[in-house]
Amino acid sequence: MIDIRQKKRSYFALLMPAFLVYISIIIFPILMSFGLSFTKWKQFKMVGFVGISNYVNILKDPVFQRAIWNNIQIMLVSVLGQIPLGLLLAYLLYRKWVKGTKFFEMMIFLPITISSIVVALLWNRVFSPVGLYTSFIRQVTHNPDYVVTISESPRFAMIPILIVLLWQYTSLYMVIFLANLQRIPESVFEAATIDGAKESTIISHIVLPELTGVIFTCSVLAISGSLKSFDLVFAMTGGGPVNYTTVMALYLYQQTFTFSNYGYGSAVSIIIVILSVGLISLSNRLYARAQKSIN
Amino acid sequence: MNEYIKELHMKKQIVLAVLLVLLGSVTAFAAGTKEEADNDGQKQITLTAYMQIDPADDQYRGHNEIMKQFAEEYPDIKIDVEYANGEAFHQKFQAMAASKQIPDIFTCYTGARSAYINETGLVMDLNKVGKFTDAYKAQFNDGTFTAQGKNGEIWVIPPSFAVCHTVYANDALLKKLGLSYPKTFEEWKAQVPAIRAAGYYPVSMGNKDPWVVNSWLLSLFVDRMGGPQWFMDAAQGKNGASFDDPQFVEAIDIIKQMCDAGMFSPGVNQMSNTEADQEFYQQKSVYLVDAGWRTSGMDSQLSDQMKKDVSMNVFPEISGEVTHNTSTSTPSEGFGLNANLKGDKLEAAWTFINYYNGEKGAAIRAKYGEVPSYKLDLSKVAMAPMQAKFATFQATHKMGYVFDSVMNGEGVTLLNNDLQEMMLGKGKSPKEIAEKYEIWVAANDTNRSR
Repeated sequence: MIDIRQKKRSYFALLMPAFLVYISIIIFPILMSFGLSFTKWKQFKMVGFVGISNYVNILKDPVFQRAIWNNIQIMLVSVLGQIPLGLLLAYLLYRKWVKGTKFFEMMIFLPITISSIVVALLWNRVFSPVGLYTSFIRQVTHNPDYVVTISESPRFAMIPILIVLLWQYTSLYMVIFLANLQRIPESVFEAATIDGAKESTIISHIVLPELTGVIFTCSVLAISGSLKSFDLVFAMTGGGPVNYTTVMALYLYQQTFTFSNYGYGSAVSIIIVILSVGLISLSNRLYARAQKSIN
Repeated sequence: MNEYIKELHMKKQIVLAVLLVLLGSVTAFAAGTKEEADNDGQKQITLTAYMQIDPADDQYRGHNEIMKQFAEEYPDIKIDVEYANGEAFHQKFQAMAASKQIPDIFTCYTGARSAYINETGLVMDLNKVGKFTDAYKAQFNDGTFTAQGKNGEIWVIPPSFAVCHTVYANDALLKKLGLSYPKTFEEWKAQVPAIRAAGYYPVSMGNKDPWVVNSWLLSLFVDRMGGPQWFMDAAQGKNGASFDDPQFVEAIDIIKQMCDAGMFSPGVNQMSNTEADQEFYQQKSVYLVDAGWRTSGMDSQLSDQMKKDVSMNVFPEISGEVTHNTSTSTPSEGFGLNANLKGDKLEAAWTFINYYNGEKGAAIRAKYGEVPSYKLDLSKVAMAPMQAKFATFQATHKMGYVFDSVMNGEGVTLLNNDLQEMMLGKGKSPKEIAEKYEIWVAANDTNRSR
């Protein structure tokens, strides 16, 4: 007989490797980053402890404020754009309201399989001053000076990026919703139809309650994904022109790796972690409230 | 029960043995290759190298040939090269520098861009190798052995010089429009209506990246309006010079004047270098502001006729300029050595960089269009047409400093953002930009604290 102590010891031994890996690659870097965030670096050397001044300077920096606003725009498009659109497309395909559902499934899913760098280059080829769309408009309007001016506007420069993000990531949510819709027994839909339920009733009383958990999971994915947006923005605009399209991860990258402000960069990373945890906790609460009202 | 425990014990031992074998093999693999190995009975020295070079790029055909040739001539020296490019190269190199584990040989700039490596004691001062005799130095062009570190250190022997300002002109288009290359800036601005009326864009320049305008234009204007001595004084805060002086304000104002005169093609701040080049290659624009190294791309992409038609010039005369007919250049990336190298490995590494920079390497690089820092009779080298023009360009123009190779990157990025915003017709005036930059430099730039 193996006694409880022996059992506990074996559990501990089995958990230890994974726990050590987790500590070394997740907990340790976060703690290290937290410690570094209170330091100042000059010429690649730590020159001293500066208290919370890195945090104060970051929050006061108009470039970081713009980066936060740009991340918020990405988050809004993700949560209020990609998720509802993904759900709508999944429902259209699931109910087979269009012909050739397999074809559409594949076509809509395609963008997510392409690397963000390729996507960025592709869309740059469309909207750049020598791109397809720009050349077409120049031909049609006989205006050789036409360019996509919203890209040069501090207020609207994010719009082309948001369009690309909507195009690229909606398919991810569509696939998640489609997979979960297929788990609802078809007999439920048939029974509702026989009972004379309208489509709106089916959606509000069957589909949405069934998918609440999935919608929450998608929201968490969308929020965390939005806050760490980097690759597409980096390849599409590099944060420019000026800093009009910069995002928090790009600001962090620039401060840390281009300017070698390791302490300042660490403080930015801690702010991103705090914002992520805060927003995900908020969505968790909203989910709990929604779940309660459904029950 | 005893049998069961025995079996369990045996199983444990087998699992432990397997784990130990796995761990041993992983450790052996991670330790890398042996530094020295037998090669036909000869001792072979293996050097690790990290290079910011893209072997697939036409620009580096010369590099590829040198590496091949070197491997054939020196079979006893093996160089394990890892290639990377752009920001990815610097990012990984910074991580290597932070962990103090850098390769034996690496590419490195002489100035601010590589400060993370050459100001941290990890790079060997090549003066200490003991090979820089006067006779050795005399084989290279002036400026090759100018001090790179604050105590006179030489981190790299620059294989060539990077020319950061050129105005390429399509002479055939100019002739068609009844124009010629302008002698003055005023004359150039006056050409704009005629060029636009004929359906062409006057000047292409890819200013999407946050360094182009300061590297290709501002550097030149600072040299023209202030001269090299004023610039170094302003950088170091000496002799009362600073970046809010009229020289610097005027330099910025020239960029504004170019925008106001409608010289750039539309969307200049959204256009990448490649896109601007293509606009010029497709003869949609008459002039291209770019760097000297673009000639290698032109040789492979332009038609034979266009190679004849394109001339290389510098910005025309500016009213009030103190230097004339100048361009700007900075020592190009060269090979640095790990400060810990010694003995046979140091000798092998020196053999490589000497081969690369010396007569044989220079001849190969020249064949592919690079104008080497090693003194070579270029008339004996069969150069491609645009490269031959580039060689003449370098021989006939004095070179000023490249702004961003001297000043700290963070400040230059802030300045560049302000310049870009000004070019968009928004933001601050030249004077305000200059004042803001001076405040940053005074508070942060390491040139001031030296």
